[in-house]
Amino acid sequence: MRLPISLLCLTLSIIPNSRAIFADDAYEIDYHHQLLGIPQTHATFFHRPRPLDKPTLLYTLSDLGVIGAVNPATGEIVWRQLLAYDKVDRPGFFRPVEGEGSVVSAIDSRVDAWDASNGKANWGNTFAGTAKDLEVMEKAAGAKGLKDILVLFEEAGKSTLRKLEGATGNVAWEFKDESSDVPLQVSTDVKSVYLVALHGAWGGYNVKVTVLDPATGKKTTEYTLSTKSDVHSAEDVLLVGANSAAPIVAWTDKTLKTMKVHILGKSGEQSLPLKEVNGGISNVTIHAPHLIQSLPHFLVHSQSPTSNRADVYHIDLTTGSITLAYELPQLVGQGAISTSSQDANVYFTRFTEDEIIILSSISHGILGKWKVTLEDDHGALIQGIAEVVKKASDSYAARSAIVTNSGDWVLVRNGAEAWSRPEGLSGVVAAEWAEIPQFESLVKTLEEESHSNPLSAYIHRVTRHIDDLRYLPGWLEALPVRVLNSILPIEVGTQNTRVVTRDTFGFNKLVIVATQRGQVIALNAGNKGSLVWSMAAQAMSSGQKWSVQGIFVNNKQGQVEIYGTLGDRTILNATTGEIVGKHEEADFKPISAAVAVEDESGTWIMPFDLQGKSIYDVPSNLAPSDTIAVRGPDGDVRGIKFEIKGTTTEQILQWSFLPRSGQKITNVVARPAHDPVASIGKVLWDRNVLYKYLNPNAILVTAIDDVASSASFYLLDSVSGDVLYIATHEGIDTNQPIPSALTENWFAYSIFADSLSTTAALPGSKGYQLVVSELFESEFPNDRGPFGAAENTSSINPSDIINAEPAIPHVVTQSFMIPEAISKMSVTQTGQGITTRQLLCVLPGVNGIFAIPRTLLDPRRPVGRDQTALEAEEGLFRYKPFIEVDPKYVLTHKREVIGVKDIITSPALLESTSLLFAFGIDIFGSRVSPSAAFDILGKGFNKLSLVATVVALWLGVIVLTPMARRKQINLQWMS
Amino acid sequence: MATVAPLTPQWVLDLHCPPPVKSKQSNIPDPIGYTSISTSKKQASTKTVRIPPTTEETDALKLKKAWEIALAPAKQLPMTAIMMYMSGNSLQIFSIMMVGMAFKNPILGLMATNQAFERFESEGNKNGLVVAKLAYVGMQVLALALGIWKVNGMGLLPTTRSDWLAWEMAREPLERAIPAF
Repeated sequence: MRLPISLLCLTLSIIPNSRAIFADDAYEIDYHHQLLGIPQTHATFFHRPRPLDKPTLLYTLSDLGVIGAVNPATGEIVWRQLLAYDKVDRPGFFRPVEGEGSVVSAIDSRVDAWDASNGKANWGNTFAGTAKDLEVMEKAAGAKGLKDILVLFEEAGKSTLRKLEGATGNVAWEFKDESSDVPLQVSTDVKSVYLVALHGAWGGYNVKVTVLDPATGKKTTEYTLSTKSDVHSAEDVLLVGANSAAPIVAWTDKTLKTMKVHILGKSGEQSLPLKEVNGGISNVTIHAPHLIQSLPHFLVHSQSPTSNRADVYHIDLTTGSITLAYELPQLVGQGAISTSSQDANVYFTRFTEDEIIILSSISHGILGKWKVTLEDDHGALIQGIAEVVKKASDSYAARSAIVTNSGDWVLVRNGAEAWSRPEGLSGVVAAEWAEIPQFESLVKTLEEESHSNPLSAYIHRVTRHIDDLRYLPGWLEALPVRVLNSILPIEVGTQNTRVVTRDTFGFNKLVIVATQRGQVIALNAGNKGSLVWSMAAQAMSSGQKWSVQGIFVNNKQGQVEIYGTLGDRTILNATTGEIVGKHEEADFKPISAAVAVEDESGTWIMPFDLQGKSIYDVPSNLAPSDTIAVRGPDGDVRGIKFEIKGTTTEQILQWSFLPRSGQKITNVVARPAHDPVASIGKVLWDRNVLYKYLNPNAILVTAIDDVASSASFYLLDSVSGDVLYIATHEGIDTNQPIPSALTENWFAYSIFADSLSTTAALPGSKGYQLVVSELFESEFPNDRGPFGAAENTSSINPSDIINAEPAIPHVVTQSFMIPEAISKMSVTQTGQGITTRQLLCVLPGVNGIFAIPRTLLDPRRPVGRDQTALEAEEGLFRYKPFIEVDPKYVLTHKREVIGVKDIITSPALLESTSLLFAFGIDIFGSRVSPSAAFDILGKGFNKLSLVATVVALWLGVIVLTPMARRKQINLQWMS
Repeated sequence: MATVAPLTPQWVLDLHCPPPVKSKQSNIPDPIGYTSISTSKKQASTKTVRIPPTTEETDALKLKKAWEIALAPAKQLPMTAIMMYMSGNSLQIFSIMMVGMAFKNPILGLMATNQAFERFESEGNKNGLVVAKLAYVGMQVLALALGIWKVNGMGLLPTTRSDWLAWEMAREPLERAIPAF
């Protein structure tokens, strides 16, 4: 007499072959935006990966610290490497090794050389200090071997220049500048290496040039340029031209009237006038070629907020004099310039708002001019790089890779868009699910009808149905496509990506993401993560990152509210992305948390300041009656409550939790907001019940001690602050990520444990461990713990006895070894909680997402013996300490999802299915069915043969009916 | 009888040669003028050998018969038990049918208790028959118990805690906390 729900639970829990992903589902149910980040102009270039072959690839180092090569013909990524993410503020350097099939990158303290065609590392080296510049040295004519690399490091305020061997990355020589000058750049010409530094005190610098011998690294000479009044920071020096035949240093005066240019190795500097631009010059940049064989020409680009113009100068190598060659006329818009060189020729490409113009550095004649036609609304151009190829004597072709202000990276081939990559989607800092808003009009009219008298309601209904008839032709038109779509395995007809509607299975949901560049984007999870809308919500200056505290979605009102940690607040329409409301910048107050609270009128968001206090004075009619658990200012976790004092309220501290001295709290997790539990007990093999400890107020606090290398996990009741359970692990690498997850009646965390030598026990295993603990009300079956069959529990007054102890759960724990580090954990969610849960783990080492089934993590698995038949019936099997990363549970399968920050999950309308969305640099989304897709037909189900069978049977009946009838009549006449 | 004139009609032959008398169950009296030779013979023999049994003797005989019927279900029990044991505790068509029969037979038997003993009832053996009836009921209950034992073995009886789990509610907490992390 088992009941359907418990039977279903049991059945689902013991389905042995519940696969995470089937081969025929891969690439069908999941979607992946392979992203790089916004390309940085100074580290983006076209380069031939095989010097002898013609095709080039487009290389870039993005603002997220990802280097990658893109096929310029298709826009597909050839290879990617994640160098640093969330660690460095400096953008890093990326250079091609001309004439060799490699590229070199320097970011933070590491320098790597990569095979340009496949992205495999040739060598890598790490040094003290941070890289300030990277140059590829030209080798002397006829010299053997690979080109050497020059890297300038800043180490404790002093500059160190190192020459690395091109083949191995070993240090050939090292030059340390003992003076505390600010290292700026390094530059080379054929004869010498120039180290350019800023000399002097804060508030005014001179430019110091140290000339070194390229072979030995010995200082040959040193001189200083007097620039004290003009150069105040490293940004004031416009350019140190590298590797060209005549490398230059340039800076402007404060008023942006003149520019001073010094040719390295020559004496003196020359003043060049900057002509007035409409609106006043706000920015001056210099563009010069980077190849030693290129002509020594350069271009000075003056920009104002509304227009721009440029001058081209030539350097006479023999005399060292600089002459103006020609001027480029003033054009509207900020514009952008890119330099490219082919052999000795230097080409400048000028991007205007809607045109691309290529010019030779020699003369002012326009070589090519194209009107740019972009297919989509990519927004305005910000910057770009171009490759100019001379096709015939007087025909040129240009390929330009443009970054637009919507964050798209567009390749324009001679004015026509070839492809675009949505790089603005990268660098997501927060994401949240939103239901697709739907008109509730039908519900409303039905309500109306139920309130009016029967006759008028009937008339209303008839008129409404007649009114609905106008949708009939459209519906009939769509019918064949719908029928075909449901029968045929392939999709017929195309979907409009911008219009999103709910579907019957609940797969179509919006994901609202906020990027670190201040962009808010909505994606449709049901349509392969296609973009629905995109909106610049916050204006971010370069180098600044938007930090988002929380995204709150109000599905009733169809609004999205985004809180930044600085106190900025933006309200958007979930359907269109329009900004409905925005906080004034003057009201900004840094917030430590924001939480949705409910009162009689609805839900509202309560932000907390860094002191753990509500930013707003909460009036008594809005005061939440519940305790709110927040992080306190002293590294504690506290529970606060609002006590009503007349019309206002007072914030009262209910409890405060501080871990053991020496420990600091690194992470607090609560159960997910949607965490239904279908069965309150676990049915054992003997059909007794172990009751689950289900406390919706439980929170799991992670505290680490860096000195003692220990980590403690505290399970707290967030109403009373009682500690329910403590687990402490010694010998922990506290620098490794310690993710944790809490759901239902179990929690999991991962640590890197060292093997400790103790006298008492055998040393433990060194490596990544996954610890799973399950909480029960009592250790005995059929026992509901101290509260028995009580209907209610109170955390504050557990029983009638005064100061009674809270009910402590019985905890069963098991630990497993895993081969990979886990950076983030999450749990699948389904509508009713009948389906078993899966633990979703982000494995940064393999760039994947690993879904571990709950049955594998059951702490009650028999240890040291095989399971009995009855235990097997319960779904328990022998404990094996090692969990392999089984490829069939890797949800990302062949895809490489890099830089995943977090995973969010949401239930679909189907009970079997949970939607998941992973974000960070890349975006990945999929559907998971932890207990197999028991409520939906798989792709293997042949609808066509089913329909054919039914039709054949029907035809058979039609044919046979008259025959059978005749036979029966004859039979009656015969007898 | 063999020499009969060929012109004699068939019905005459039939009249002369009546079919052999069938053993009579009914108490229909013979028609007037018909004398059955065999019957008279038989009557003559019983008159000579047997004296009609007394009422006590009949009652004792009836009671004996009633006990036989009362104990009949018990004779099937070992057989049923072996079959049930053999059919296993899994839910299959065979074991389900077995269980169905194991319940149907005793229940039908119990309902037809009075009919089964009707023909043995008389004024004299009433008390003895009650004991037999009780024994009969007891045997049927035993058979029913066997069925219940089988059903229990198959796990179909709601005897354990897990069978009532779905009606047990999770304890509703009086206080709620809102996590803001």
